[in-house]
Parts: sequence; C-alpha cells; structure tokens
Amino acid sequence: MVRWSADRGLQARMLLTMFLLAAVYLIFINVIMAMGVGIQGVVLIMGVFLFIQYFYSDKIALASVGARIVSESEAPELHELVGRLCAIAGLPKPGIAIVRTDVPNAFATGRSQSSSVVAVTTGLLRRLDKSELEAVLAHELSHIKNRDVAVMTIASFLSTVASVIVQNIFFLGDRRDRESGSLIAVWIVSLVVWIVSFILIRALSRYREFSADRGSAIITGRPSALVSALMKISGTMARIPKEDLRRVEGMNAFFIIPTGAIANLLSTHPPIEARIAALERLEREIL
Amino acid sequence: MGFIDFILGSTKLPQPKSERLFAIATARVTLEAKLGLKPTGSAAICIKPLESSTYERTRAEIEDLLRLGSRETGTAYRIENDSYGYMWVVLTDPEFEDLVSGVHMVVGSLTDSGLGQQLLCAVYPFSNGFKVYWIFSFKLGAYYPFVPSREKPRSERDSALELRLRSVMAEELPIEKDVERWYPIWEMPL
Repeated sequence: MVRWSADRGLQARMLLTMFLLAAVYLIFINVIMAMGVGIQGVVLIMGVFLFIQYFYSDKIALASVGARIVSESEAPELHELVGRLCAIAGLPKPGIAIVRTDVPNAFATGRSQSSSVVAVTTGLLRRLDKSELEAVLAHELSHIKNRDVAVMTIASFLSTVASVIVQNIFFLGDRRDRESGSLIAVWIVSLVVWIVSFILIRALSRYREFSADRGSAIITGRPSALVSALMKISGTMARIPKEDLRRVEGMNAFFIIPTGAIANLLSTHPPIEARIAALERLEREIL
Repeated sequence: MGFIDFILGSTKLPQPKSERLFAIATARVTLEAKLGLKPTGSAAICIKPLESSTYERTRAEIEDLLRLGSRETGTAYRIENDSYGYMWVVLTDPEFEDLVSGVHMVVGSLTDSGLGQQLLCAVYPFSNGFKVYWIFSFKLGAYYPFVPSREKPRSERDSALELRLRSVMAEELPIEKDVERWYPIWEMPL
C-alpha cells in the first residue's frame, strides 16, 4: 500500500487564492454599500438566477453539448469501469453520458455527489486504451469527490454580479445615482473586481485540475496512465518523430515553442506539460 | 556566438556537449531496480561520415585506442558502417562501468583530435525481454529513450513506454525536453 503525502504546496496556493478572492469580494461589497447605490436588487436577482443555474447546471451542461445518458446495457464496459473506480474512491456511482464527437474530451457535472454525471466523448473512447480511459474517468470522479462544480459556482457568484453591473450599469440605480456620478465609480470598482476575480477564479480552477489529476493517480495507482492519456489527448504522443536521426541530421531546423504567459494566466486548465510534470513526480514517489 | 560571428555569419558548428554523458552510469541502477531493465553488455558510438582520408586516419586512431584500452578492461570492439554511411564503434563488455568508460575514451579522443563535431550519438541498449535504447545526442547534450515496438521493430515505436521511461528517469538522467527531437535510429548494429 502506497501512502500518499498531501501536496502542501498545492493546498497552500489554493487557500491563498480563495482568501484573495474572498478579500476582493469583501472590498467590493463594502465599497458598493458605502456608496449607497441601490444594487441590492441586482444581487438578489442574480442570486435567484445562480441558484436556479446551480440546480439545473448539470442538465444545462449536458444538453448544451448533446450528451446522452447511457444505460448499463448500452455501455456495459464503461459502467463497469466507473463502478469499480467509485468503489475505490468511496463515491456513489454517477450517471454516465456519451457525447458523439471525435474531439477527445471528458467532463463531470452535478452539484452534489449523488446527482453527478460523468460524460465522455466517442473520440476519447476511440483513442484511449482501457487503463488510460480509467485514469481519465478517475480524474472526473475526483472532480465530483472534491465538489468542484459547487466550489466554482460559489467562487464565481460575486464575480458574475460584478460582470452584470459592468455590462448593464446604466439600467441600474435610480435617478439620483445617475445624476450624482457615483454610478461611474461603481462601474470602475465593478470592472476592477470583475477582472481581478476572473484571474483568481481561473487560478483556482487550475489548482483544482492539479488536485483532480492527483486524485486520479491515487485512485488508479498509476500516474503514468493519466500521463499517456493526456499525451494522447493533447497530441504529444503524435509529436514523437518516426524519421531516422541520420536522415534528419544536417537539416538542423529551428524549433520555436511559443510560451504564452498571458494565455496561461487566463486559462481554466494548467498547461499539459505542468500537469504531466506533477504526475511524473507522483510516479517517482510510488516506484 | 560572438558579435563578429553574428555580423558576418558563423560557419562554426556547435561543440559536442558530452559532459552529461556520464549520467547513465548511475541511472543504470534505477533502470534495473524500478523497471527490470538490464544492460545488454554492449554500447555504441555513431560517427557522421567523413571524407575518405580523414576517415581512414580516424578509424586507425580509434582502433589503436581501443586496442590499448581493451588490454586493460577486456572490452571487445568492432567498427561497422551502416547504410547511411555512418561509422559505428560497438563496444562489448559484461561490466557496464567498463562500457561507459570505453565510450568516454572514444568520445574524448575524437574531441581531442578535432572530430567532436562528427559525433552523432552514443547508444546504450537495455533489455527486459524487449530492447530499450537510451540515445545520447551530442548536439542536444541530453539523452532520450527509443523503444522499437514489438510488432513492427523496424518502423514503429512504443511511445507510451518511452514517455513512461522519461517519467521514471527524469531526475537521474538529463532527458531532452522537446519530444519532437527524439529521433529514432532504426536497425542499429547492436
């Protein structure tokens, strides 16, 4: 039995991000209240809206990509795989859905562990072998176990409110506000909150991905299976050349790999290389 | 590259980066302990084709060197040419340490006689029922794994296993980061 040490660094970064996010939100609420602008209505409406979204998000997400829930008789092997992983992870078995597209992908949805659905695309099923598929499913189950849908919905609530204010500022507030010019100040504050919280939420999302990768490695006991799945999905495997070294020697082509610091800051998922490096550290830990 | 070279254009080839070649000596223990991969008892150096007079001189030099060296360690050697016109110096010795020092000796003497730029790669094969090659590129100054697939050993490679080898060995071997440069060498003479 392998004993997995907790990734303290990751936990610390996640906590710091959540703390900063909470701080930004607190400042936001205080500033808005101090200005005495009537946006309570907006918050209330958005609250109701997000509450509904929270309860229907799984259905919305599944319907928007055309995922179809499959029964045990339709996809016995997939059900068997998920069932076994759930037994190991101590989770109730989620629903399973298949999306008909050749893009290799998978996602998990649902606000609670019991109402979750794991969806995979036909492209993913076609490309991955059994152990790689298992690793990807375990990654999605880790998202369910970590309650990532709930965490991210709550984390983005006030950010969404700020974005609504930024976009609809001049339909809000009463006449007095509009004439006093304080609406402009609210607009600026909301814009700043929106941008800062957006970056923080994306960071949080990336940490949750690392965490789910780790969860997958712990459930399956094979970090390398997720590494090779990630490589296949991202096409890294296909980048390993087949042309003989002696044939290409002398061409000495330049290789330019773009490194997008800004792109990294704004993406929901960490770069594949970073995820693979983290998994490779785990692999060395267990060998 | 100096400023003058930058302005006028340089024809100098980069010097071989062989400092990190030695890493295989310690990595070998991990390869066996974690993956059951044992050295096959041979290693090779691949040298780019030379013009014929230099070629003969180099070949004679290497042979002299190996003859002297093998007297001490008992390392057997042979020199072969492949279909690409490359010269292969293949060393055979049951002691892995002697193989590693043999490879170093050849690399060192070629570099000393100004032929370092002709060095293409050094290869250390390992086996666990199937062959795994660690190729050291002198251009990159790093190793990378090459595993011919069991079904089609002449044209297909087992990339999944290669990537796993990278995961396991990343801390002990200097491994080339860019997988696009992991060029295979098909049908090696060892």
